[in-house]
Amino acid sequence: MHCTRKVTDNLYWVGANEHRLALFENIHPLTKGVSYNSYLLLDDKTVLFDTVDWSVCRQFLENVAHVLNGRKLDYLVINHLEPDHAASIDEVLLRYPEVKLISNEKAFMQMRQFGFNIDERYEEIKEGDTRSFGKHTIAFVYAPMVHWPEAMVSFDTTNGVLFAADAFGTFNALDGVLFADEVDFDRDWLDEARRYLTNIVGKYGPHIQALLKKATPLVPSIKFICPLHGPIWRKDFGYIIEKYDKWSRYEPEVKGVLIIYASMYGNTESAAVALATKLREKGVKDVAVRDVSSTHVSWLISETFKYSHVVLASVTYNLGIYPLIHNYLMDMKALNLQQRTFAVIENGTWAPKAGGLIREFLDKELKQITVLGDELTINSSMTEEKDVELDSMADSIVESLKG
Amino acid sequence: MLYKPTDAHEALRAKVRAFAETEVKPYAFLMDKENEFPTEAVKKMGELGWMGIPFPKEYGGAGLDNISYAIAVEELARVDGGAGVILSAHTSLGAWPIFAFGTEEQKKKYLIPLAKGEKIGAFGLTEPNAGSDAGGTETTADRDGDCYILNGGKIFITNADKAEIYVVFAVTTPDIGTRGISAFIVEKGWAGFTFGDHYDKLGIRSSSTAELIFNNVKVPKENLLGKEGEGFRIAMSTLDGGRIGIAAQALGISQGAYESALEYSKERVQFGKPICFQQSISFKLADMATKLRAGRLLVYSSAALKDEHQPYGMESAMAKQFVSDNGLEIVSEALQIFGGSGYLKGMDIERMYRDAKICTIYEGTNEIQRVVIAAHIIGKIPKSESAAKAKKAGPITGERKNEIFKTGAPKEQVAALKAALEKDGYDFSIGIDPNTPIVQAERVVSAGKGVGEKKNMKLIEDLALQAGAAIGSSRPVAETLRYLPINRYVGMSGQKFSGNLYIAVGISGAGQHLKGIKNASTIVAINNNASAPIFKNCDYGIVGDLNVILPLLIAALNNGKPKKPAPPMKKIKRATPVKLPPLWKAHICNGCGYEYNPDIGDSEGGVSAGTLFENLPDSWICPECGEDKNQFIEV
Repeated sequence: MHCTRKVTDNLYWVGANEHRLALFENIHPLTKGVSYNSYLLLDDKTVLFDTVDWSVCRQFLENVAHVLNGRKLDYLVINHLEPDHAASIDEVLLRYPEVKLISNEKAFMQMRQFGFNIDERYEEIKEGDTRSFGKHTIAFVYAPMVHWPEAMVSFDTTNGVLFAADAFGTFNALDGVLFADEVDFDRDWLDEARRYLTNIVGKYGPHIQALLKKATPLVPSIKFICPLHGPIWRKDFGYIIEKYDKWSRYEPEVKGVLIIYASMYGNTESAAVALATKLREKGVKDVAVRDVSSTHVSWLISETFKYSHVVLASVTYNLGIYPLIHNYLMDMKALNLQQRTFAVIENGTWAPKAGGLIREFLDKELKQITVLGDELTINSSMTEEKDVELDSMADSIVESLKG
Repeated sequence: MLYKPTDAHEALRAKVRAFAETEVKPYAFLMDKENEFPTEAVKKMGELGWMGIPFPKEYGGAGLDNISYAIAVEELARVDGGAGVILSAHTSLGAWPIFAFGTEEQKKKYLIPLAKGEKIGAFGLTEPNAGSDAGGTETTADRDGDCYILNGGKIFITNADKAEIYVVFAVTTPDIGTRGISAFIVEKGWAGFTFGDHYDKLGIRSSSTAELIFNNVKVPKENLLGKEGEGFRIAMSTLDGGRIGIAAQALGISQGAYESALEYSKERVQFGKPICFQQSISFKLADMATKLRAGRLLVYSSAALKDEHQPYGMESAMAKQFVSDNGLEIVSEALQIFGGSGYLKGMDIERMYRDAKICTIYEGTNEIQRVVIAAHIIGKIPKSESAAKAKKAGPITGERKNEIFKTGAPKEQVAALKAALEKDGYDFSIGIDPNTPIVQAERVVSAGKGVGEKKNMKLIEDLALQAGAAIGSSRPVAETLRYLPINRYVGMSGQKFSGNLYIAVGISGAGQHLKGIKNASTIVAINNNASAPIFKNCDYGIVGDLNVILPLLIAALNNGKPKKPAPPMKKIKRATPVKLPPLWKAHICNGCGYEYNPDIGDSEGGVSAGTLFENLPDSWICPECGEDKNQFIEV
């Protein structure tokens, strides 16, 4: 059974939802699924924009056939070659042998690497080229390293539709939703949009900035932003663009404190919670406490992008940093996370080492991380005497939040 | 493009020149002779709107560009080098950092009166041990509640003591070099802020130059300029612009000398014709004019770059270095043209000859300008060398005063110790419960194994009482000797002391103990072993037998009255060094996201560490994916 929705005149969503996938990119947990968006334009020629993951190919083919309603498919525009969008290219080529692929040199090179049988059925475009398909003229704009080198966006200059590739995408299946204004995005979707962007494209902030800069002159004429995952934007562009601007400049969204702790037997946890309590008492409105062992690192990364301040409380493990905290640090480095203020609590029963090593990592491996001066070492468990130090740490965090 | 100032620039030049000729030049000789500041002229310059040329009108400035500013300095210096530097130091060094780094409140409070010329500004960076190397700064600013307490001194400060607003640099976080320096706005007249002697200078004698002395000067935290730890960055970018002012000053002095010599050479007749027609003199004039033109283009183009918000640090260093070096040659040749007449007091050229020299020295010696220029060409020194420098580990407790009182009898040593502590602000008429937990105590008297027999602990208790301190110990004293409960030993594995005063008696200073007191504000060591590590880690020390020293110290601190209860402890917090972005621009590959890091270079591509991206050969390709250099974007 087909499942499609009209985006605007002559343009239809023909993507599909995925609920059975546990790990996106085989690493990031999905809790409410994900959508793979594909769009079909019916002009004098018929033009399909991107395909879907192999797992939902059948649904997708039904949708395409339904909207085509007997017409032949003339063109397939590929904005991004990652297999969650490109895996079904081969199948489209088989079903519609006369279709011509439109994309750039790098994308065609990658298609051959993935083993798609594109033969000579393609037209190569370059940055700034346009193609007319009847009433609609599409312009192609390169978006290198957002987040693959071949990535580009396509802009329909006739009706203002921007096919944004992975930009403005989010986790969560659509399940009938098509537009962001049909949901309470800020309440129900923002956290997953942030987790998607920061974990997948986080490293390439400067490239997002370059794309935003390039797209600025287009903004007044944009009417729809059609991403490859999640809902379409047709209003409130300022809201989502501001978020993207912040994330890609590594600027925190809120002045608040994220406390991440690693605790083997509850003693470090107790200190972490005590600190959260003190911060709340001292009037800090936004404090989040996360157990590194039970929170997937993708959420930790996402929340580190959100908050201005992070407290890391780690036990010492094999004379080093607790492995899951270390993993978080390595991920921060990989994703280029920067410009945050940290405070560090270490615990150790015979030779507390984690704190110094975490400080060293933050200082040497990451960019512009300020580590607050107060050092807090717990020997096995918190004591009344140490409470004063914890209090002073809370004070310096509060003071730093004002800065 | 046409390399010349606009008509508006030339109109300003004409106005400043007319002013300089009538209001400054006639008095220049007297001011030079008497070391006198041109108070009246500076006041008028303020009224004419020239004390804030490059600042926006909303902040009281003239809203003009930096070329206009350079022209004004040049024209003043043309008649009097001292007048030139008054304006340059005021504008570039006093007002500009507030304009560039100040908060809105700071700009309203300080920039406006500066730009209007109602007040004069100055800049306090140089110290006896921190000239070209600002990392040697010793003036300190300790956070104390809502204030910073400024202590130390500055030397060679232009416009002191005439200025009323000073941008002063001081260490807020010790031991981390330039990253620990912060900038403050300090007002003349604040308690503890005084001036040393005026310098009797070779030249620029109409400008005022003096020492700044800070003795427990309370600076409200609102007067921190920028953030803590940004001081060095603020100082360096201020000096980037200051160099334009000094280059303009050198240009003006040279121009004045050249014009005087030219005029004289037309009047002076020898061998039947004006000497300017002697080839030997005409060539001198030709060289001078050439140097002036080259220098002027360097000065104006770096000012123009600044106006366009383009990088100008290297260009302004080139201008300052080139113009002032050549300035010395110009004034020398100009004086030569005057012959014996130029060698006499009262001749402008004699004064210009002396005035010119300072320009190769201040606001970064010309040797330092070449360091700046070279750093822009070849990048900063490769890491291996600086890493080697960093390896030189200091004492565990950080840099300390290490003042060991050795002179005189023990009684005099104790008196000296007491005096030093009282000078630091310790009040010994107050006291706390000796059993206050170590981490809560403002002061701790701590006993080490050197204390000997248990009965000696009475001395420790008495000293703690008189010093207003709690009692602590080293680990063995609590754990092995059991003189104190286990929760009273200080060290990395025990209680960490981060209060103000720590008096270590008979403690040799094992590493783990020292790590527990590294945040103490003041460490006092009393031990009979002069080579004990504690002495390298203390602020004050007395080498001697505790049975001799302690009774003396107890008596010295005892005022005969019961101790008053201590007010709540004011913990002097150590500031956090803020990480700043590197000076170079990072570049990222469009093909794969690889970030080129000049600190590392690209050994596979034959690029040595320290090579800036701009200086990579065009044939260089991304080491990860092979994209061309032009496929990199700037971050």
